[in-house]
Amino acid sequence: MKRIMYIARHNPLIFPALFIMAFWLAAAVVGPSLTHFSYTGMDMDHQMTGPGVGGHLVGTDSLGRDIWARIVYGSRSILTIALLTSLFSSLAGVMLGFTAGYFGGRVDALFLRFMDIMMAVPPLVLSMVVLGVLGNSNILTLTLIVSIAYTPATARVARGALLGCKNIEYVDAARLRGESHLYIMFREILPNTIGPIIVEVTARFAYSIMMVASLGFLGVGLQPPTPDWGMMVIENKTIIKAAPWAVLYPSLAIASLVIAISLFSDFLGKVVLRDQ
Amino acid sequence: MTNKPILDIRNLNVIYETPTGPIVAIRDLSVSLETNQALGIIGESGCGKSTLSYAILDYLPANARRSGSIVFNREDLLLKNDREMQKYRGDRIAMVYQNPYSALNPSLTIGAQLDEVTRIHRGLSRAEARRESIGALKDLSLGEAEGIVLRYPHQVSGGIQQRICIAMALLCQPDVMILDEPTTALDVTTEASILDIIGELKSKRKMSLIYISHDIGVINKVSDRIVVMYRGEIVELGPQEELFNHPKHPYTRALINCMPRSGIKKETARLNTIPGYVTRRSADEKGCPFAARCEKKNAACEEQYGLRNIEDGHFAACDRAYATDIPDKMTFAPLIARTPRETAPSSGEAPKPRPDQVPPLLELREVYKYYRNRARTVRALDGVNARLDAHDVLGVVGESGCGKSTMGHLVAGLLEPTGGNLLFDGSDISQNWKKRAGATIRDIQLVFQNPGRSLNPSFSVEQILDRPIKKMLKITSRRERRALMIDLLKKVDLGEEYLARPSTRLSGGEKQRIAVARAFVTSPRLIVCDEPTSALDVSVQASVLNLLGELQEQSHTSYIFISHDLNVINYISDHIMVMYLGRVCEYGLRDDVVNPPYHPYTEALLSAAPDVDPAHRRQPIRLEGAPPNPSEKIAGCPFASRCHKKITGLCETTRPPKKQLSPTHYIFCHLNEDKLRGAAHL
Repeated sequence: MKRIMYIARHNPLIFPALFIMAFWLAAAVVGPSLTHFSYTGMDMDHQMTGPGVGGHLVGTDSLGRDIWARIVYGSRSILTIALLTSLFSSLAGVMLGFTAGYFGGRVDALFLRFMDIMMAVPPLVLSMVVLGVLGNSNILTLTLIVSIAYTPATARVARGALLGCKNIEYVDAARLRGESHLYIMFREILPNTIGPIIVEVTARFAYSIMMVASLGFLGVGLQPPTPDWGMMVIENKTIIKAAPWAVLYPSLAIASLVIAISLFSDFLGKVVLRDQ
Repeated sequence: MTNKPILDIRNLNVIYETPTGPIVAIRDLSVSLETNQALGIIGESGCGKSTLSYAILDYLPANARRSGSIVFNREDLLLKNDREMQKYRGDRIAMVYQNPYSALNPSLTIGAQLDEVTRIHRGLSRAEARRESIGALKDLSLGEAEGIVLRYPHQVSGGIQQRICIAMALLCQPDVMILDEPTTALDVTTEASILDIIGELKSKRKMSLIYISHDIGVINKVSDRIVVMYRGEIVELGPQEELFNHPKHPYTRALINCMPRSGIKKETARLNTIPGYVTRRSADEKGCPFAARCEKKNAACEEQYGLRNIEDGHFAACDRAYATDIPDKMTFAPLIARTPRETAPSSGEAPKPRPDQVPPLLELREVYKYYRNRARTVRALDGVNARLDAHDVLGVVGESGCGKSTMGHLVAGLLEPTGGNLLFDGSDISQNWKKRAGATIRDIQLVFQNPGRSLNPSFSVEQILDRPIKKMLKITSRRERRALMIDLLKKVDLGEEYLARPSTRLSGGEKQRIAVARAFVTSPRLIVCDEPTSALDVSVQASVLNLLGELQEQSHTSYIFISHDLNVINYISDHIMVMYLGRVCEYGLRDDVVNPPYHPYTEALLSAAPDVDPAHRRQPIRLEGAPPNPSEKIAGCPFASRCHKKITGLCETTRPPKKQLSPTHYIFCHLNEDKLRGAAHL
């Protein structure tokens, strides 16, 4: 604890980062009950009005929808998808990466070539193509596809972490008492690689938010009228001169959350990795 | 001693700022170094030896603070800024590091790296620089210097690499050379020749040396004056002979006494140990740094201490340094009586039964282990025959690359032999862990070299011990397992409270005790100890050796004890096997092996082993060159290329015959027995 505070004092950016993360978490959990606007309700008296006018905290868009309400509802979907994505891709990555790294030889070579092929296609392009073909995307398909797109990267991290531990003598000691491969991989090695893996999960969380927002921006994310931060940016692009707030605030939401999580991930890296 | 000091350190303090508060690395340290003097600094790890050398050159990490003064040629180095310091580093004060391989740039040729030194520091032209470089290498007895400068660091052996590092330090013609454990990473025979060279250099070049080591024997060989450091302070300081003959500070005495050396054997003596371990020193701690571990401390030790002059030039930081009640020479604790053997009529004087009369516990028959890849085949074991009786310790000794660890891993089942058979209690165990029977796995256990790596850092002591009990003994009751664990901890002199501790929070010695306890879970009949003490400090090594000796007595277990340190092997073993390049050179009862007649290689090893007797600065047999490439097939004796007694024309071409010198002793050598006996200089 003392050490964590010491590191925090030398990396003071962690404090605003934590505040922003707490803010968006609170927004997602209790935010909707604090605003009386619904995310679809069109206020015909106030179209493209600025922040504060008619009780609209950060203004309205061209249809008179409350932007704050849309951001708050949008935070739920984006946080859910990003969280699940980072968890799923890390889980799959650990399984694949550990198996490949542990057994080595042909298994590993095959794995690496397959990962190379996967990584040759940028995750965004891959997700776009698949979602485009599937058409109607929802939270489930979005989560699944982004997870798959990110798995190669996490698998490589997991494999690297395992290779660092695989040849240490405690693994030999476990072998010499006849332990199974699964036991060695997940009981002996996994706890010692958890540091880099946790850092990878949080970093992946930030990437996932970026990815979901990008997909929304490109129109293959969640479908209207479900609010989506990326989609809000592109929807209001045409009115950017008349109502800049309609683009600015969703963009700010994306940027603040991604930066905050990235900072948190860096900090976590300093905390957990120094121990090893 | 009328020389003016070239380097004068006064009241030096080094403090590290850490998250958990400031840590004192060096406290109020004063020492001076005179021209053409070799100052040896000794102490266990964590005593501030390296910090001191880095402090002199201002190479400390950013969170370190220095105070006091370091006067070099009447200039205080503490007042210099980084730019000014650059004129001193290398030019005036040069440094040689522990690991030559990481000190050299792997992507530049040796010549390029050496030339760079003189071209930058002395502004020489390319041709001049190259001439200087070759000259410097020749000074260090590197005959084929012209060839070496064209090679890359990885193409030469560790000993040559270290000589290159020393040559690099010499090229600037420094006034002071700091050597920080320069031979710790090297083999004993290589170490001996490097120490030789350092001695020669000092007398030839009139240079001052600071030599840092944890090895008393090495310090004894090279130093004129010796500083003993403990927890960042000097506890004793004096001329070499005086300090070794009449050590005054309890720490110095303890340190000297815990070294295994010739003449000390497990039947006649236990090694002295220092209870506890080196701890960090906080800024507000008062009193003698050694008080917590000192057997003779009294109330005064918690308060006042400080260096006092005992005789001319001999200082010690202890009240009782004057006392005469402590005998000067080393004394050893009485030992536990050796229990009668089960297979032998009695130990000691009575001759052991002939080896062929008792069935051996373990037998290796023509065992080969080759490591193959596309490019080459490394012959790690090349036809090894060996035997080990029940309740017997077989010490396996040899330099790195001789195949001793490979042999241990084959027996333990981490590897499978390429050819030949391993027989354990009559049954064939030439398979690895995947195919071995449960009973074999339980009967043969392995203790690894580095306990920090063999104990899982994520586990507590309880988890580490519990799992093997559950897995191999199949005890299901939690309470029974716990009782067994407490029992095991008691065996290794640790209390029940250790169960809850995470393994990372243990000291090196405690970790190795836990590793030993784990090996004893199944009450095995054979334990392979693979360099179990080489990663430990001498004081801890002594206690682990005592423990292993006692446990072996009590449990009638057999050990294969692998070590590069002949002193350690000599202490613990009943039989000794000397290996070189995957083959056996000599095998026999301990006293047969360490006394003439010797195999020439055993003789070289014995002569190279550092000794703590101050009068005993013997001349080691210099083994030139490196062991031959293990991937080449050797027709004759593997040692022929370095042997000081070789018969030209015979040794290189014909495999040496097995010479049975006594029922318990054989040697593989072409020389006749008289020649083998004629080791006049020892």
